[in-house]
Amino acid sequence: MERFKVKLQLNGEAVELDVNPSETLLETLRDRLELTGAKDGCGLGACGSCTVLLNGLPTRSCIVLTAELDGSEVSTIESLADGTKPAPVQESFMEKGAVQCGFCTPGMILTAKGLLDRNSRPTKEEIIRSISSNLCRCTGYKKIVEAVEAASSTETPKT
Amino acid sequence: MITSKFEFRSPKDVEEAVRLYREFQGEAVYLSGGTDLVPRMKLGLEKPKAVIDLKRIVPLTTVEDQGDWIRIGPLARIFDLKQNDLVGDYFPALEASLEATSCESLQMRGTIGGNLLQNSRCLFYNQSEFWRRSKGFCLKMGGESCNAVPGAKTCFANYCSDNAPALCTLSAEIELSGPDEVRRLNLEELYTNKADKPFDLQPGEILTAIFVPKKKSIGGYEKLRVRGAIDYPLLSAAFSFVDGTGKLAIGAVGPKPYVVEMKQPSHDAIGEAVEVVLKQVRPVGNTVLDPDYRKRMIPVLAGRLINKVMEGAK
Amino acid sequence: MDREYTIVGTRMTRTDSLAKVTGSASFTADLKLPRMLCAKVLRSPHPHAKILNIDTSRALRLPGVKAVVTAADAHGVKWGVFKYTQDHPMIAVDRVRYVGEDVAGVAAADEETALEALDLIQVDYEPLPAVFNPEDAMKKDAPLIHEEYANNINVHVHIEVGEVDEAFGQAHLVREDTFHAAGEAYSTLEPYATVASYANGYLDLWMPNAAPHVRAKALSNLLKMPLNKVRVRRINVGGHFGSRSEVSPGDLVTSLLSMKAGCPVKLVLTREENAACTRQVHDIQATIKTGVKKDGTITAKEFRVVYDGGAYSSTGPIAASIPYYVYEEAYRFPNVRYNGYRVITNKGIRGMYGAHGRAFLCGNEMQLDMIARELGMDPMEIRLKNGLKVGEETATKSVIISGGLEEPIRRAAEQANWTEKRAGLTEGEGIGMGCVAVMCGFPMGFRSGSACYVKLNDDGQATIVTGICDTGMGNESMAIQIASEVLGIPVEDISLVNADTVVTNLDPGAYSQAASFVGGNAVKRACEDAKRQILGFAATKMNHPAEDLDIRDRTIISKTDPSKSMPMRWIVREAFFQGKPIAATGAYMPKVDFQREWIKKPYGQMAGTFSFGCSVAEVTVDKETGQIRIPHFVAAHDCGNPINTMAVEGQIEGSVQQAGVAVLTEETRWTEGLLLNPDLLEYKVPLACDMPEIEPLIVCSNDPEGPFGAKEGGLTTRMNAYSAVVCAAHNALGVPLNEFPLTPDRVLKALDAAKGGDKS
Repeated sequence: MERFKVKLQLNGEAVELDVNPSETLLETLRDRLELTGAKDGCGLGACGSCTVLLNGLPTRSCIVLTAELDGSEVSTIESLADGTKPAPVQESFMEKGAVQCGFCTPGMILTAKGLLDRNSRPTKEEIIRSISSNLCRCTGYKKIVEAVEAASSTETPKT
Repeated sequence: MITSKFEFRSPKDVEEAVRLYREFQGEAVYLSGGTDLVPRMKLGLEKPKAVIDLKRIVPLTTVEDQGDWIRIGPLARIFDLKQNDLVGDYFPALEASLEATSCESLQMRGTIGGNLLQNSRCLFYNQSEFWRRSKGFCLKMGGESCNAVPGAKTCFANYCSDNAPALCTLSAEIELSGPDEVRRLNLEELYTNKADKPFDLQPGEILTAIFVPKKKSIGGYEKLRVRGAIDYPLLSAAFSFVDGTGKLAIGAVGPKPYVVEMKQPSHDAIGEAVEVVLKQVRPVGNTVLDPDYRKRMIPVLAGRLINKVMEGAK
Repeated sequence: MDREYTIVGTRMTRTDSLAKVTGSASFTADLKLPRMLCAKVLRSPHPHAKILNIDTSRALRLPGVKAVVTAADAHGVKWGVFKYTQDHPMIAVDRVRYVGEDVAGVAAADEETALEALDLIQVDYEPLPAVFNPEDAMKKDAPLIHEEYANNINVHVHIEVGEVDEAFGQAHLVREDTFHAAGEAYSTLEPYATVASYANGYLDLWMPNAAPHVRAKALSNLLKMPLNKVRVRRINVGGHFGSRSEVSPGDLVTSLLSMKAGCPVKLVLTREENAACTRQVHDIQATIKTGVKKDGTITAKEFRVVYDGGAYSSTGPIAASIPYYVYEEAYRFPNVRYNGYRVITNKGIRGMYGAHGRAFLCGNEMQLDMIARELGMDPMEIRLKNGLKVGEETATKSVIISGGLEEPIRRAAEQANWTEKRAGLTEGEGIGMGCVAVMCGFPMGFRSGSACYVKLNDDGQATIVTGICDTGMGNESMAIQIASEVLGIPVEDISLVNADTVVTNLDPGAYSQAASFVGGNAVKRACEDAKRQILGFAATKMNHPAEDLDIRDRTIISKTDPSKSMPMRWIVREAFFQGKPIAATGAYMPKVDFQREWIKKPYGQMAGTFSFGCSVAEVTVDKETGQIRIPHFVAAHDCGNPINTMAVEGQIEGSVQQAGVAVLTEETRWTEGLLLNPDLLEYKVPLACDMPEIEPLIVCSNDPEGPFGAKEGGLTTRMNAYSAVVCAAHNALGVPLNEFPLTPDRVLKALDAAKGGDKS
């Protein structure tokens, strides 16, 4: 089977990949690039644990083929912190107790980040609508909503 | 993982896409957002030799005011479309159906064309290869009979598009571009009324445009589901009122939306319209809610929706 | 309380959260070892069949395949928590009993090759008649699934206290109702995975587990290897809720593959495999009979509960008992008869759930409301009247040493405006209350206790070594917080080494609500010992009585004369100088009756202490569609004293999803032994948009035994939240609700049935 060449901006760096056409973005990230922050929770796009930002939009990487992405920008949870300093949204997830087992956390944070990047002051309803894309089995979502609310007052609006 | 091996192509225009389809002698699938297709490939329900990605064909992604019609590119993303002013101003039923589709993240990936051409669904069908082999193949997989209704020679999978019923109430038309011709038809004509093969598509045909008459309408969309997001509809109702005529479409209880026209949505007219639908639908136990319940909810959902829309217009 | 604690009881940021928000926290599937192979499992397509022959030769010839294992490679040891329930070979020998049962394993260079190899293994089956529901399975002519279980009854738990029949005879009012609840899926977001690495006679293992020591022991038995050669190591666990308590077939398969291939092997289950081939939750049918006096005092209870146990025993008698115990721990039953039957069927394996016993618990609570209504009582009053108090004994002779049901009820009712709300309900609105109490640990022989080591390092920082396991609830952070409080050094000065069987000492694990109460106590005691040693050296060095010294913020300080102080690290270094480095041990064994046995002697002290809880739910029901909404939910949980307030709230809030909202949405659906919803699309885990406004209330009974008064952190809500919602729905509708979950179709059926004359 022929390979497929893909150029990506991955976490701010240009990468050139030679992938199998049937490879999903999640497989590329986890198996090829050792970026294991994105989790494989269901493999069918139902849970959101594999969420990454694709051209800024929260996207389930388990149902996207890497071959589709030539020229795209992909950001994973590993790129969110500024060096060792967590991003404000990561800080607020920690401070508000929005993290329990941590399996849904990377995807949840990137879904929240995607929202805050396009709407720096979302209402509670908008927050709930956005994070209803992702399953969490531990928290009951209350502290996640509170964390995103808190982050919305500290996150620098993107212009 | 996706176990089938395929080649990947991303054509720049429709002609190239159709040519590629022929090159792979029909063993190719067109890819849009992939939110239906990729899970199907993962489950082994599709095993193409080639995946032809349509997302690089720019004209397929745009929305255009053509005067009498609004032309919606089928590759327009649901999330973008629901924020489009033309949609909001003219087609409230469509807007509501876009909002009700899945969840925000999947709306950002999913396209309206993909939503229209999603395959029909059944708890006995949307399963892994291991599962389906253990159970034995059903009609829709090329087996002898149905697994949801043992022994039945009819497929009872449900067509779960949220946007199709809304578009039907708006009298939408679609453009299909194939190897031999470009044809335009009413959206309602797309459906075969056979759940195992729900679309009347010629090999290689691509949905290249959705046309909606540019007329102000009032309307709405109601969806029965267990959770407030992600879920496919277990029953849906769309209603639009345009130029003094109402159209009701009932979805997710059969292989197509059931569309009924009514002059004035009076209590009696609604009742008659619902009767027409009830005569055609045969929900079975292939979803997470009881089939009798889903049938019973048709008049409830339809009645509430139409009354809400008409009340709002006063 | 004598004094305010420095860090116990604060809203501390959990110590594990930085790794989790940055994506650097590793879960089992994230591990990558040199030469690691990929494992896949061949599974039974039949619910019940004889295995006539297995031919693996073609698979072995496939390039890239490094090992294939079948039962022939195992050692013929069967798994079961008790000697009398050891019935599960983990790799099928000559018979398969559920769809998805492990038949053979393959390790190959990559996933694709491993999958290809599975197709090359030829298994000849002879299908056998199968049975899928427990009532059918108990019939005379039903196919026998295990020779040793007559009528397919796996375990029968019988509890008899007092004069039950006589008490019913004398009761003012007797009610009997039957309730049925479909089983649930744990739906941990992390699918099951195992990494096994065998080298030089030693086996290292990583997998989501709730008790590494118990897991290692089980595997040492199954592999017939000495326990010291089986090492279960610490790894992050993506949720548990009961599902990761026991050894899993995947652990055995992966271990055998690694031993055969001589390479590390990783098995990661798909979501479907996780749902169909790891333990899920029992379907339960409960017939409940209650007798009361005119004033609402419960005088007699009789239960017949049938648990669909799936194909093997697993926790067997525990699973068939716990729903009853968490109920008798809440209420006073002078006369009670309990018959719990766990029945074998040809369905997937079953385990204990954090929210175990839905039909039983909400059935009892709803029936109590029906009785209250007949007696003209407020549901709260009947609960207060029958709720256990400190000093009382449960029916099976466990003493309550702290808490009691009254305060959680009063606090929840007050917060929810119970009385006013009840008086002002309009059409379709309802409010309901659910109560329960939960044991913190239960008798597990010498494994019931926990032990901890502490060492002080040369810069005055500490290393805590404990078997405490964290499956997501924050147990690691809890241990560090306790150590920080005792040692008087900040959290960042403490390193934790935990849940690694070669390094850490025994601990009962994170599945019997014992982590804070038992494991936390051991950490506290070890740190107290270390502190005593430090203050002993300090007393000499500072020439000041040890009794007047304390450690605060890394400093030894006189309690009476704060000008007398010395950096703690000086003392720690002094100890090194003298050749007596600070190294301490602490252990805690809960005061339970070790003669107690789940079947033979179900009487005596069950646990060191009990937590109490009350949930109040408000619902609105659309009587035309049957849809229920929960606008508001109050959950009061007596955790003794919170170590981390924010973490306890998090447990309560998560429980509202897993029980309170789940009772509207969650059920596993089956077609002849095949799960119809082995995914996360059609199995309905509630989303953020489905959640009520939650008010978690922490009740502090300050347990006399618990570390800093702590008990467990939130399980009562997981056990009573669905009762509250069911009672609220019953309050709104006024008709019996006997089938759960309360999906809208079931609600309308209940309304229809009542219209048909079955009024209550």
